[in-house]
Amino acid sequence: MSRQLQIGRRTFLKGLGTAIALPSMEAMFSSKALASGSLKFPTRMAFIYIPNGVIQNQWNVKGSGQDYSFSQTLKPLSGFREDMIVFSGLAHERAEANGDGAGDHARANATFLTGCQARKTSGANIKLGISVDQLAAREYGKNTRFPSLELSSDGARLSGKCDSGYSCAYQFNLAWKNETTPVPPESNPKAVFDRLFAGGSKKEMIDGRQRRSILKKSILDFVLEDAKKLEGKLGYTDKRKLDEYLDSVREIEKRVESASSSPVSLPDGFTAPSGKPRDFGDHVRLMGDMMALAFQTDSTRIATYLLAHDGDNRSYPGLGVRHGHHSISHHRNDAKKIEALAKINHYHCSLFAHFLGRMKSIREGDSTLLDHSMIVYGGAIGDGNRHTHHDLPVVLAGRANGKLKTGRHMVCSRYTPMANLFLSMLDIVDVPTARLGDSTGLLKGLI
Amino acid sequence: MKISLFIFNLTFYIFSVLGNDMDKVAFTEEILPLLERYCYHCHGNGEKKGGLALDQYQTERDVQKGYRLWEQLHKFVVASEMPPEHIKKRPSKSEQDLLARWTRNALDKFYRASPPDPGRVTVRRLNRTEYNNVVRDLMYVDFDPANDFPADDSGHGFDNIGDVLTVSPLLLEKYINAAEKIATKVIVKPESETGQGFDSLSNFQKEYFKYPIDRHLRRRAAEVFLKTFLRRAYRREVTSLEINRLLVLVKRGSDNGDSFEDGLRLAVTAVLVSPNFLFRWELDGAPDNPKSIRQLNEYELASRLAFFLWRSMPDDRLLDFAKKGLLRKNIRSEIKRMIHDDRSYGMVRDFTGQWLGLRNLDVNKPDKKIFPLFTANLKEDMRRETELLYAHVLKNNLNIKELISADYSFINDRLAAHYQIRNVDGAHFRLVSLNKVQRRGLLGHGSILTVTSDPNRTSPVKRGKFVLDNILGTPPLPPPPNVPELEVEQREGETLREQMIKHRTNVVCASCHKKMDPIGFAFENYDGIGRYRLTDNGEKIDTSGVLDTGESFRGVNDLQSIITSEKLDLYVENLVRKMMVYALGRGLEFYDERVVGHIVKRLRAKGYQHDELVVSIVQSLPFDMKRGEASN
Repeated sequence: MSRQLQIGRRTFLKGLGTAIALPSMEAMFSSKALASGSLKFPTRMAFIYIPNGVIQNQWNVKGSGQDYSFSQTLKPLSGFREDMIVFSGLAHERAEANGDGAGDHARANATFLTGCQARKTSGANIKLGISVDQLAAREYGKNTRFPSLELSSDGARLSGKCDSGYSCAYQFNLAWKNETTPVPPESNPKAVFDRLFAGGSKKEMIDGRQRRSILKKSILDFVLEDAKKLEGKLGYTDKRKLDEYLDSVREIEKRVESASSSPVSLPDGFTAPSGKPRDFGDHVRLMGDMMALAFQTDSTRIATYLLAHDGDNRSYPGLGVRHGHHSISHHRNDAKKIEALAKINHYHCSLFAHFLGRMKSIREGDSTLLDHSMIVYGGAIGDGNRHTHHDLPVVLAGRANGKLKTGRHMVCSRYTPMANLFLSMLDIVDVPTARLGDSTGLLKGLI
Repeated sequence: MKISLFIFNLTFYIFSVLGNDMDKVAFTEEILPLLERYCYHCHGNGEKKGGLALDQYQTERDVQKGYRLWEQLHKFVVASEMPPEHIKKRPSKSEQDLLARWTRNALDKFYRASPPDPGRVTVRRLNRTEYNNVVRDLMYVDFDPANDFPADDSGHGFDNIGDVLTVSPLLLEKYINAAEKIATKVIVKPESETGQGFDSLSNFQKEYFKYPIDRHLRRRAAEVFLKTFLRRAYRREVTSLEINRLLVLVKRGSDNGDSFEDGLRLAVTAVLVSPNFLFRWELDGAPDNPKSIRQLNEYELASRLAFFLWRSMPDDRLLDFAKKGLLRKNIRSEIKRMIHDDRSYGMVRDFTGQWLGLRNLDVNKPDKKIFPLFTANLKEDMRRETELLYAHVLKNNLNIKELISADYSFINDRLAAHYQIRNVDGAHFRLVSLNKVQRRGLLGHGSILTVTSDPNRTSPVKRGKFVLDNILGTPPLPPPPNVPELEVEQREGETLREQMIKHRTNVVCASCHKKMDPIGFAFENYDGIGRYRLTDNGEKIDTSGVLDTGESFRGVNDLQSIITSEKLDLYVENLVRKMMVYALGRGLEFYDERVVGHIVKRLRAKGYQHDELVVSIVQSLPFDMKRGEASN
């Protein structure tokens, strides 16, 4: 399919106030294709992680199927009731200690998209498993400039050791390329934007493109040759490190090649985000905007977003919550703390609602970008006070191009592996997978 | 030769521990029955609480094979953490002592009997700090290009651990972008081709080129430049083939009507993305053979040294020594020189940032409403104070006890006001005596008191844990899974201490908290940002307490005296371990144990001078040598 851009729409990035014109999916296809109905919009998938569990009796909805009533915590999402599925009964058994002792936060974070048990180590031999998004990215990600996009709100990290003897790699990454290699996220919205739409004005881009990509290619060739010279001289672990490097070079090489054959550029006159907003809410909303932008321009179809790492202890003074989030998640049934926590849960939902609002505001053909997506919002701790890993808070928004029947509360039998949901999602994007982590099969009743 | 020194160390070590009465204690007859009686209830006969079944250890050999676990068990037994307090059936003091001493001896015997092993460090890529420093020293431009790279993962408490430093497409993209940006910044086109107007040239160009450059001599100029530049960038001698390949890039980049400078930019960019620049390789002849042990060549040693003490690349002097094979001969004086070089502050900031958690000043944010005095400036002053104390000990080769016991500190007017110290004017830092002030050593620093607090109040738990873990190297057991951390809400008319004691009802929690909390209470005279106070919630503060090992104290000054006397061995050994991990870029293994013991000994013999800490690590087997790795 030819992908010549026909830019015609102006969109506004909320929160920035700057006008920005974008090549939307719509603009990428000729109106003929649209009119003839031969066009199918791709299905996008995203995973958003919330930390430290929730106050379950305020999160849980009542009733099942289409006939359910919204809960206090989910209220900010009420405008999307018909666009989403609320789950109950899902579990991440591999986030349990299973003999490894303390460290539920690190484990929850690690297990969320992998369904695997993190090997307890603070240094050598980190081992987990491939995550659902990266599995999808292997095949489904080939269609776009970026196989996948990884985002996080956490730039600075705690120094020293992470949760109870687990490497920080487990606690700050959602996406894992394989057992040993996490895919680090980007936390600065400006950097995300620059990465997606690199390089100056439209004219500059067109003029310089060819030559620049030739030069870039010669840099990549040069370093590839350097790397290959090292290859034969390395022991097992060093070789693995070099392989990470080689894989990265090759992926960028592919991107440079495909970029020069099918240009995706932004027109003059847009302003990128100027940096990382100080306010957490502004930051999260802007990251959501970037994710929507990446989907809208079909720069990628797969994204993960660590809204905050599990165990996060930031306070929410704007909500009147002065304690650290993690500290109060161990509320020990103190009414004041429970109330504060519920407020945080509620607030996170409102930030998610902002993202869904953006997705829904972007038209694609007769429907919206949200209709062509499936977005998981949830965490791998149920009750933060007790560190449980069952009855997880999970919502799935978007209809996945009509594959999903939304507007309902889906009650799964208790302890159903969360990985089953992921398996079904992989199925939807035509990446049939036999097994992911502790999955036992497709999630019954989803499709 | 290094080997002989090593054998000397080894013999020294063996002689020092010979003649242990524990050798005569038989596992089956005397130890196993203790385990059966006191441990199997939860950890044997089918029970395996916390995933631990002790009945799989039936011989001394089994214990030695499970050394990692048994090191832990040894600590628990010594600290009376196991069996937990609520278990009625407990070993007597002498039984506990026997178990601990036997375990220690069995493990030490095992370590001694295992062949000397320098271990294997996974190749390290430059982390963000190192990348910034290297760019500063190599490119003569200081703008921290790595700050928007994805955060480096850390392991064993530090972010320079080869195993967890990964490369992703995102990072590689950032490398390319940063390299292009740096090259554009430092290679500018001179305003005039005729010899006038070279003021616009960068420091980089002034260092490596002599402008004006005649059109016909450009290739020659590029070649001369690359010879010097590449050696520094790759931290080793380079081949003419490597230089020629880059000359090809210079030419390609200046084709098409582009300038000579465009060509140089392309070559420099390529170098900055090359694995030879981004990784610190130590290539072996037999990388797959774990038996093949070799001494580092001197270039490799120069790199390890420079990245250890400067967190940056070796300078020309180190490389020149390496070339002549004179580095080892001059190691003491070179270390001395490096410590006195300003670049050593890079190590001070990086090491204290992680060992003492000062980096968390950027993460833990005190509540603005409760602590309006906590400003960005004050935060930087706090960090600086602790760094300056460390730098002072480092540069003046002081006893490492000074870090804990110094009755002086480095403060400026803002910190002085914060600490209620008079007559300190001006923003510059100076040495001030704290003789009459309740604030001694780094435990009295605002930085540490802040990073061990919650956003809205002090956290005696975190402060207690900090001392046990970061200072003494005896971290308390993590809370059992599914049991939340003990946290309390303060009520009217009660101090935090009173509240916490009231809440310490759960026996499982209490067994650890009675170790942490008293230490934390000693700090209660300092609020969540380290200001001195006498009352909490209107009530008088009580800072007295007793350690679980029996020493009683009142306030932080007493606590620091205990650390530098009764607990000195723990403190010293902990600092040795932390610095070894930091210097090696890997976690410590069982075969490193005797090296740790040896370094502690050397340090003691030299009055705990900081230089000895550095020198003995640099001369240790794992720092000086390496081996191959069995292919998995």
